[in-house]
Formats: sequence, structure tokens, C-alpha cells
Amino acid sequence: MILSHKINGNLAHHGRSMVLFFLLFFAVSVAAAPNPAFAKLVIDVSDPSLVRMPIAVGDFMSDQPGVINGAELARILKNDLHLTGLFQLVEIDPALPYAANGSPDFQKTSEMGIQALVSGQVHVQGDQLVLEARLYDVALQKQELGKRFTATNRQARQIVHRLGDRILDQLTGIPGCFSTRIAFAGAANPRELFSMDFDGHDLRQLTNNGSINLSPRWSPDGRSLLFTSYMRGQPETWWLETVTGKQALISGRPGLNASARYSPDGREIALSLNNKGIPKIFIISPQGDILKRLTDGRGNDISPSWSPDRSAIAYVSDQAGTPQIYLIPVNGGQPRRLTFESNYTTDPDWSPRGDLLTFTARIEGRFHICTIRTDGTDMRVLTREGSNQAPAWSPDGRMITFASTRDGQSRIWVMDARGTVQVPVSPIPGKAPAWGPEVR
Amino acid sequence: MVFGRISRIKSPFYPLLCLILLCALAAGCAPKIVKPNPPHPGFPGAYRAGPVAEQELQAVQANLKVIYFDYDQYTLVPEAQASLQYNAQILQQTPHVRIVAEGHCDERGTAEYNLALGERRARSAVNFLASLGIDPQRISTVSYGSELPADPGHNETAWAQNRRVYLRAVQ
Repeated sequence: MILSHKINGNLAHHGRSMVLFFLLFFAVSVAAAPNPAFAKLVIDVSDPSLVRMPIAVGDFMSDQPGVINGAELARILKNDLHLTGLFQLVEIDPALPYAANGSPDFQKTSEMGIQALVSGQVHVQGDQLVLEARLYDVALQKQELGKRFTATNRQARQIVHRLGDRILDQLTGIPGCFSTRIAFAGAANPRELFSMDFDGHDLRQLTNNGSINLSPRWSPDGRSLLFTSYMRGQPETWWLETVTGKQALISGRPGLNASARYSPDGREIALSLNNKGIPKIFIISPQGDILKRLTDGRGNDISPSWSPDRSAIAYVSDQAGTPQIYLIPVNGGQPRRLTFESNYTTDPDWSPRGDLLTFTARIEGRFHICTIRTDGTDMRVLTREGSNQAPAWSPDGRMITFASTRDGQSRIWVMDARGTVQVPVSPIPGKAPAWGPEVR
Repeated sequence: MVFGRISRIKSPFYPLLCLILLCALAAGCAPKIVKPNPPHPGFPGAYRAGPVAEQELQAVQANLKVIYFDYDQYTLVPEAQASLQYNAQILQQTPHVRIVAEGHCDERGTAEYNLALGERRARSAVNFLASLGIDPQRISTVSYGSELPADPGHNETAWAQNRRVYLRAVQ
């Protein structure tokens, strides 16, 4: 159990600083600016409209340096902030420059161009670890956030992630997702499922059936996963409770039972099942009973992704000859083709904010991760190296995880939603990542 | 019943009777003991038919041709149709052999769509065999997408080998 409360009660909620306005402005501009320059396929990883905020994180000071490594803990936070693509991490002297009164030397940090500054102190009380952290607006010479976190020693990484979540909340109005986990399928045989912290730490094996296991997707409460498994010799949809390891067969009909995803409220599952031998999108109950067939026609349909309001589903169909992404209303209506720019677009994943989809497109013979608005405009190509596929949004909509072979083997990567920062995270080869929800 | 009656016979001929009964058993005159088929490790529907000798399965398997596909395609090119016509002749001669049509793709695609493509390739093969008079009820489909390449290489030769439907002969 992580306890946290503000140690500085008089943090002003009015008169938000320049720092805050700065980030809010650009966070909004990232999400909303329809730039006519991107109406066509453009590899855009250096949009000049986003200037990253210079931020410095001092090594956390520890009263028992042998037990707790303050520099190591600060590195966790620096990595979190870096991966959002919103910050420029400025390296500063390991021990923060402090003025005589104990507060940071704003003069010195300001001269270095730093706009936001994080300091932290850690100490151990028995088997408890206490982290006190502060966020400063350097220009205004003002403390923006003060937080105290208590946890067991083994949860040191988690409380630093919690601090990162709060810093993001303070600076952008939306908490970070640094406390979440990513599930994925191992890329080596047998292909078991694994989960890890979003930054690749704390790897855990979830299945042990010696078979091929694919396409894990989290339940909305983050306690269980749907996945495709060949443990009985054909691709079937299974359910797995991550904590207990309990498993159940959800759909084992003849042919394909694949790419199952929970609806946002967890009360339905969309998946691909054979209809007269052709894979189609169906909606079934969490127990596996067919509620309705959503798609029709001669195309092979797979990879459904629910809109966050549950009203529509994006999916892949090759009904026009090549795989393309279509949107269809859940409660009746015709599908609408969304993608036209590539002759191969697959793996749609609807953003938690509802405005964008991320997907895989084949461009000049290589697979790349892209985003597009739900009206089909503003397609952006976010990757440019290697072969990339299976993108999935972070629950806060600011990051995307995907599989890439650019280092040789397929590994799980994360990047910000603009692709400016792209980092491999999985400690083992993997594919088909699914970003879990925030579990409180 | 038979054994119960024999056990009550108190006679010096008892060993002889046993010997006669054993001979009868060996000759196949005794009641047949019907054993259930052992569960098949593969597709669950695969053991519905009667038992087929392992050697016969191997012989059928050795003769079945693999069906190959063009990149991104599930339609049957003339070579694939010729392979299926050849396979249909074998299957017509072995009506009690069941088939699992395994659909596969090369690695140049995304994993989930490849599952759909592999399924459709398998279905293309089944439909063509059905058009040649093979009962489609004998054939089940399994798509492996790009998960089980026949050739682990990353070149045109490997990819051409991996875009396939493998017909697996099962009991």
C-alpha cells in the first residue's frame, strides 16, 4: 500500500505558472493541430511546433547512501519523463546546487536554461522507504508540488513511478502512466506470455503451456487478459487471471478464434471468428456466447479495436483486395474505410482520448507505426527504422508501445505519440504488446 | 459370465479347458474388447473417424503436396491447383484419412492479419478439394499465420517456402 499526501498544504491552485501554461499549450497543440502538411504520407519526427521543456532531476539525497541509491532512483524518474517526449532532460551536478536557505539555487539552474526542477530525499524507517519530492518552477522560483511517498523497500521503483505520475499531472493536467504494465508474447519458442513494468523492469511469465500464445489484451480492470492460444491445437480465445494464473476457454469454435478485445466497460468481447469459413468480426459475451456478427461480405476481417465510448469498432478487412482499416458502428450501420495511403494497413488501436488511431502501414516495403485521425486525415508515420508492428496506446494516450525488429530481434519498444523518443524496453525478445490500464 | 462358469468347474480337465479357451481367444472367437481411441494430441475433431494404421498415414503424408501461394494472396495459382488435383487423387483413394489444412504466411506481414490470411489460404485449399469431390467434412483448418515458418530464413526463397498450406494426414 502506497501512502501519499501533500507535505505542502498551501500549494497554490490558482495562478498557474508559466511552466504549466507552456506545457499545456503544447500538449493541446500536439493533440489537436490538423496540419495540412500531413495530408499525405510524411515522415515527421521533428515537428518544430513542439519545444521540449528543459527539466532537471537531481540525484535523490539519501541519509543511508549504502542502503538506498538516490542516483539510481532519480534515474528511474528521468527515464519516465524522457519517454513522454515532452521533456529535455538537463544533466546537472549530482548534488543539486542548493542556496544557503536550503532551497534550490534558482539563479544557477536558471542560467542553465532549466525551467522545471525536481529534488528528492529518501530515507529508510525500518522496512519502510520514505520519498519526499518537490517540483519547482525555476523562473518563478516557486515550489509547484510537494509529495511524500511511503512504501516497502521492494517497492522503491513503484513509488518513483508514482512521483512521475504526479509530476505529469501537475505540469500537463493529465497524470502519467508510469505505474502501468505491458503484456506481450515472447518471440522465442515456446511462445509464452509475459508482463513487465512499462519501462521493462519486473518481468513476469504469465503462461507456461509450451504452446503458441498470441495477442494478449487486458481487461479494463487490469486483473486479467484475453489471449489467443494453440494449447489445444488450434487458435482459440482464452482468459487468464494474472494474479492467480486461473485460465478459462472463452471461444473454441472451429477455425479462427483470434484477436479478442474487451469492450471499454468489460461487458462484451469483440473478436474474429469464422463465418462460413471466412474470418468475420463478432461480439460475444465475456462467457463466450455469440451476441452478434458485426461484419459481412467477402473480406477477411480481424483485429477489432473499440472506440473509448464503445459506439464503434475499428478493424482490418481485405474486402477491397488489400488489408485496410475500416470503422463500423456497433449498433448497426455500414463500415467506412479509414485508410487509403498504403496498400497494407493493419493493427488498429483506438486512442483512449478517441481522436486518433494508431496502426501499422507498409510503406516502401517496410512496416511502420502510424497515427491517423478518425476522419481519415492527418496520417503521420512515427517510425522510420526496421520493421515495426502491433502498436498499442498507453492508457493516458501519450505513448505507444509496439514491436520492432530494428535491433535484429523483435523487441517491445515504447515511444511518445509523436515518435520523437523511441526506446526498446523488453528485456527479452517479444511481440504483440498490450498496455495495461492504471490499476489503483 | 463365461469366466464365472469356468471357475466353478471342479474337474481334472480344468487345465485342459483353460488351454482350449486360450486357443479360442487367440483365434479371435472370444468376445472383442473395444478400446476407445487414444486422445489425439492435435485438432480435437481429428479422432472422430476410425483408427488408421500409422504406416498408412505416413504413406499418405509422404505423397501429399504442399500448396504454395503468392505474396499477400490466398487465391490458388495454376501450380497450386495442380498440386491440389494430385492431392485429391490420393484422398479419394484413402477415404478414411482425415486432413488438417494448416495455413501459413511468410514473415512480411503483421501477425494478426496473417492469422486471417492463413485461415483463408487453408479455406481456399479446402474449397478447391471440395470442388474435386473431396468431402469438406474430412478436412478441418488451422491457421498458424507467420508463427511456424518452414524455412527460418529472411529471403525470397524462404518466404516462398513459407506461404503455404500443409495438408496434415490424421486419424
